[in-house]
Amino acid sequence: MARKMLIDGELDKPIEEETHYDFDLFVIGAGSGGVRASRFSAQYGAKVGICELPFHPISSEVIGGVGGTCVIRGCVPKKILVYGASFGPELEDARNYGWELNEKIDFNWKKLLHKKTEEIVRLNGIYKRLLSNAGVKLFEGEGRVVGPNEVELIQLDGTKISYSAKHILIATGSRAQRPAIPGQELAITSDEALSLEELPKRAVILGGGYIAVEFASIWRGMGATVDLFYRKELPLRGFDDEMRAVVARNLEGRGINLHPGTTLTELVKTEDGIKVRTDHGEEIVADVVLFATGRAPNTKRLNLESVGVELDRTGALKVDDYSRTNIPSIWAIGDATNRMNLTPVALMEGTCFAKTVFGGQPTAPDYGHIPCAVFCIPSLSVVGLSEEQALENANGDVLVFTSTFNPMKNTVSGRQEKSIMKLVVDAETDKVLGASMCGPDAPEIMQGIAIALKCGATKAQFDSTVGIHPSAAEEFVTMRSVTRRIPARKPKTSL
Amino acid sequence: MAATSLSSPRLGSSLSSPAFQTLRNYKFPITFLSFSHYTKHLTSRNFSHSTSSPHPCRRLTTAIRAESTNGSEPPRHYDYDLFTIGAGSGGVRASRFASNFGAKVAVCELPFSTISSDSTGGVGGTCVLRGCVPKKLLVYASKFSHEFEESGGFGWTYEAEPKHDWSTLIANKNAELQRLTGIYKNILKNADVTLIEGRGKIVDPHTVDVNGKLYSAKNILISVGGRPFIPDIPGSEYAIDSDAALDLPSKPKKIAIVGGGYIAVEFAGIFNGLKSDVHVFIRQKKVLRGFDEEVRDFVGEQMSLRGIEFHTEEMPQAIIKSSDGSLSLKTNKGTVDGFSHVMFATGRKPNTKNLGLEAVGVKLSNNGAIEVDEYSQSSVPSIWAVGDVTDRINLTPVALMEGGALAKTLFANEPTKPDYSAVPAAVFSQPPIGQVGLTEEQAIKEFGDIDVYTSNFRPLKATLSGLPDRVFMKLIVCAKTNKVLGLHMCGDDSPEIVQGFAVAVKAGLTKADFDATVGIHPTAAEELVTMRSPTRKVRSTPSEGKADSDIKTAAGV
Repeated sequence: MARKMLIDGELDKPIEEETHYDFDLFVIGAGSGGVRASRFSAQYGAKVGICELPFHPISSEVIGGVGGTCVIRGCVPKKILVYGASFGPELEDARNYGWELNEKIDFNWKKLLHKKTEEIVRLNGIYKRLLSNAGVKLFEGEGRVVGPNEVELIQLDGTKISYSAKHILIATGSRAQRPAIPGQELAITSDEALSLEELPKRAVILGGGYIAVEFASIWRGMGATVDLFYRKELPLRGFDDEMRAVVARNLEGRGINLHPGTTLTELVKTEDGIKVRTDHGEEIVADVVLFATGRAPNTKRLNLESVGVELDRTGALKVDDYSRTNIPSIWAIGDATNRMNLTPVALMEGTCFAKTVFGGQPTAPDYGHIPCAVFCIPSLSVVGLSEEQALENANGDVLVFTSTFNPMKNTVSGRQEKSIMKLVVDAETDKVLGASMCGPDAPEIMQGIAIALKCGATKAQFDSTVGIHPSAAEEFVTMRSVTRRIPARKPKTSL
Repeated sequence: MAATSLSSPRLGSSLSSPAFQTLRNYKFPITFLSFSHYTKHLTSRNFSHSTSSPHPCRRLTTAIRAESTNGSEPPRHYDYDLFTIGAGSGGVRASRFASNFGAKVAVCELPFSTISSDSTGGVGGTCVLRGCVPKKLLVYASKFSHEFEESGGFGWTYEAEPKHDWSTLIANKNAELQRLTGIYKNILKNADVTLIEGRGKIVDPHTVDVNGKLYSAKNILISVGGRPFIPDIPGSEYAIDSDAALDLPSKPKKIAIVGGGYIAVEFAGIFNGLKSDVHVFIRQKKVLRGFDEEVRDFVGEQMSLRGIEFHTEEMPQAIIKSSDGSLSLKTNKGTVDGFSHVMFATGRKPNTKNLGLEAVGVKLSNNGAIEVDEYSQSSVPSIWAVGDVTDRINLTPVALMEGGALAKTLFANEPTKPDYSAVPAAVFSQPPIGQVGLTEEQAIKEFGDIDVYTSNFRPLKATLSGLPDRVFMKLIVCAKTNKVLGLHMCGDDSPEIVQGFAVAVKAGLTKADFDATVGIHPTAAEELVTMRSPTRKVRSTPSEGKADSDIKTAAGV
């Protein structure tokens, strides 16, 4: 097998007295990042092994599955449930379009759950095939680092095998965390929420991040009563404030009870359900309490301290621009490094890793202009800077263009919900610094806009593009008049 | 009528003060900027008396500028700087913008009706009243049936099959159209454009007749649009066109749609979604001539899978009405019976008849379109034309672009040509199509060596719904420059998805730029930035060509 170690880009130069390793690369964790890095490294000619925990929808220290969070406990099942939940409001919208629907419409959660599990089992199989087609050797079991070039695999039957590897890549991802409040064991995390036996009638969600608002939309769409508690005044900290306010208004408009500036202090089991106490002294009884209060890197059982790999305070692996840890033969990508925890970013990091280590092209992932989406209903999607970030970074004035409009579908359906779009532009250079949208199809609409921003497109280039009529997206190229011009250096807001 | 009461048609001549007249008739050698201050001082008092315009000074100065840009013509007073015939997308845009630049503008339009004719139209034009908007509303309505089917795979069940009530839909649609035509009138009013109801006819290069009243204008803009055209075959009086199809008293049970263009496939989707039995008769082997061949194949297949029956290479010869009232369509291949409706979507023609164009010497093309130069100027210098009446690219946003450019050219001292490169377009078939730039065939012709990236996949939603829905995407890349020359997509949300990509294609971005962009997961659109290997390389020297395919998975890992 063509063994290449091309970290310095030297191709096919025989290196004398090279140590023999079982693998050129051993990857711990077969999620998005790990699978991508393995496959691409193998395509560059490396001999690659990868290990992953056995498959199950709910993860633990000893449960995982090829495909990782994205496929089994994240993006994919979440999106499936969002699709499922979207039909609820769709049916309401259909009536004014002339559809006569019997009041007896039934939603069968178990059926959806079953089909979702079928789909992720199928994808799990596809991922395994992807690995074998790429010539990557897959091991089932728990991987641990026992030396800078040595991985120990604890197999399902408890036996241990060691493999030596020129490079080790940690791609173990992350897991949902629970806040330490009394009764916390009564609550669930997003893992369980994606696989609940019964659909809750009354759901309480703690958290203001994207996972919290997505589940709020999912359960509400399926007909549950949802109470959403979060610490700040608005959900989705880090996103554009105006967009956050719109998301909050839309969630409320769709019947979700918002409890801003509120946290949970205690959960108590009662006959009627779980009694939830808040720091405002309120009490609510729920069938399900979801903690969506953050995720922590899966680094505890990797034995990293034995070889001296540095972790940060959150337990994430510290890496350089090329995803290398302080131990030169050990690398890490994806959520385990807690950089930008998104599947496509892990893919990018995996690709860059393979290029750097086995492709002879040292490549640093580029974190500029990474678009992202929140699949609440209606959805939010952004790329580039928020208005607040733009003001913070700007040297000169910032121009803000916004468009708030009633989507055409709502004109007949009667749904009272506006879509909003925003472009943030550098007044001096005319460059579009940020784009955001909250409304139906926002994530699909934003992808192309992201290319334009990535390449430094100007507002003039947006304006010169002809619209597609009638679409929502055409608003992005028809924002003629500036909504506000903000002089440089404005005091920060603190929502 | 409210809009016309805003200012009388003869307002221009009635408010002339001595100072005003002098300024108008004198050709100023000095620049606009240094002049504007002077005019403001001189005339604002007189002017603001008699008009509601917030910018009287701007109006006057531009009137003069329009005068001074025009060579040797003897100075003359006109009622209007611009008189627009036709208040559709292009006419309203040009009028509003011209007025914003300070011009005195009037626009005439026929009375409102959902069906257009020589005597009916309505402010808003085809797009708002008989095109994009009502069409899209019916598309929304008809799409629900597909969603009901999809929802089954996501756990939703209906005790009774959802039924559709056509009259509810049409009533709600028409209420929305009434609202929109009102909005358009308000837009004109707010922009200080005088709206005159009636049929405009050109009397001479500077005079328009509306219902017997004459209006003089420095410039005349023709933006009267187009109308559906039904070929003259026996029984064609039984056929309906798209105007009528958007406003039928009852839903067709079984409809024949003749034509393979975008209107035909859109209506096929609408009626199919509303559970009519739909037969489409097309002259060619495939629908949508002019679109990318692979997209044509793909959309035809997907529509067939949803239950639309295509009769290819069939030309209509006659429509026969039976004693039971049903219609039969006779074609070169045979006769299909039992239609409740036969719809012709066989093209549209410019509305240039009886406008007095020929008499003043405005040149028309063979199909009746007004011939214009790059600035939308006709063969008569004071007569201009934008939108479908010029039959360039017949799309609302293009008419808007042409109208905007014309206003700049005439009244903002910025001669502006509309830019027809990389104009994106959508077809609201089911599934819909979005595209921008060149088709593969055009790209080969123009650039020779190209790389083609395609992806044909089952979207996540379909894996759950169990329906045979698929998505097709295609990127056409110039082998030499790496520029993305064309982008085509057919599948859910295509029109929404393509808009952002159109900005990228218009800006001349490369495949490498696409690749450098991180995906939004999980979306369909991310597929367009994760196409790693070309499906085929087209080379003028065939030896280089090599097919290469890539496994696509739901998460694209």
